[in-house]
Amino acid sequence: MNIRHHPDDASLIAYAAGSMTEGLALVVAAHLELCPQCRARVREAQDLGGSLLDGLDAAPLDDGALAATLARIDAITGTETEPSPALRPRTVAGLPATLSPWLPAGLDRVPWRTLVPGIRHFRFPGLDNGNGTVRLLAIAPGTALPHHGHGGSELTLVLRGSFADEIGRFQAGDFADLDPSIQHQPVADTDNPCICLIATDARLRFTGVMGRLFQPLVGI
Amino acid sequence: MTQVAITHEAQTSAATTPPPPELADWLAAVAQRHDRVAFAGLFQWFAPRIKRYMERLGADHALAEDLAQETLVQVWRKAGQYDPAKAGPSAWVFTVARNLRIDRLRRQRFFEVELTEAAETEDERRDGHQRTLDGLDAARLSALVAELPTEQIHVVQLAYFEGLSHAEVGKALEVPLGTVKSRLRLALTKLRGAMEVES
Repeated sequence: MNIRHHPDDASLIAYAAGSMTEGLALVVAAHLELCPQCRARVREAQDLGGSLLDGLDAAPLDDGALAATLARIDAITGTETEPSPALRPRTVAGLPATLSPWLPAGLDRVPWRTLVPGIRHFRFPGLDNGNGTVRLLAIAPGTALPHHGHGGSELTLVLRGSFADEIGRFQAGDFADLDPSIQHQPVADTDNPCICLIATDARLRFTGVMGRLFQPLVGI
Repeated sequence: MTQVAITHEAQTSAATTPPPPELADWLAAVAQRHDRVAFAGLFQWFAPRIKRYMERLGADHALAEDLAQETLVQVWRKAGQYDPAKAGPSAWVFTVARNLRIDRLRRQRFFEVELTEAAETEDERRDGHQRTLDGLDAARLSALVAELPTEQIHVVQLAYFEGLSHAEVGKALEVPLGTVKSRLRLALTKLRGAMEVES
């Protein structure tokens, strides 16, 4: 896979630090399954996390904390330790394994709902976070999303096909990392639908007349 | 801005107390021999720091104590999964604590991905960039972190220890979002650059 667009280092740090919403982190995790370069970056960010942990001042523990912890170990596990789990595959049916719980049948049998002509979506259940959502979008060839900006972050991973916008051309595996400073209008630009995974942590802000008509319909 | 004052204190202690060099050996001893003396060494270093970590992220004293103990229980159980060739001991323990925090304090999942190269094909390995902090010893990394400019270490600590999104970090420090992100990028780039010079 030839990936040209990656998450910002700042987003990879947020993922590693655990300071990202669950929905945004899911899209980052799905990209990581496909991208060795970003996996290396996250390892670095976790090294940094370890070093910061080492640098914290020690909080006083309760009396007998070590004995209490050893008692918990004995109670829960005996004294056995867990072996390494078998390495699981990174992809299942061509999809990042992280997404399998929501897409057990892969991309060919998604329970799509039509949003507007040319655009179908599937909202991942159980990941709504305040105003943010995680959804799969299928954009028919030549269809443009309304021009929009973002109240917060919008992270997009292309899973199939491609789209182009003001920033560039995004193909399978590519990651678009957008924040409130960016407005864009993605257009599916090949003969096949573009399927992408999109997470937001706040509602999108559509601009222009078409966009304002679109907003209540889409609810993103 | 009391939060920022606290993070500054944490920063200075990084430079004064390096982690014991035996951490990786202790993890191996726990995995191989269920060595309780080695576990006590791990406990003494990590449990008080994980308790502070949990407190910084919103747990009260009792919950932070419970989560620190629970993290060390998981360290015991998962010690066999630790591979010193792939991560420093503190980085690995950090991920155990982070995942437990997200589960217990945020009631969410952490979508963890196998980050190491073992499961990768030759092609992927060739593509992967080699410029990582992997293998840098903990004491040296602590010193490098302590040398980061104050403005960079502040945004890093707010992300890791206050659980703040980049936008929230920007509000706390009264700087634009773009500045928060560029400081984070610079911090990581600086650590990586220092690593390359040494290797």
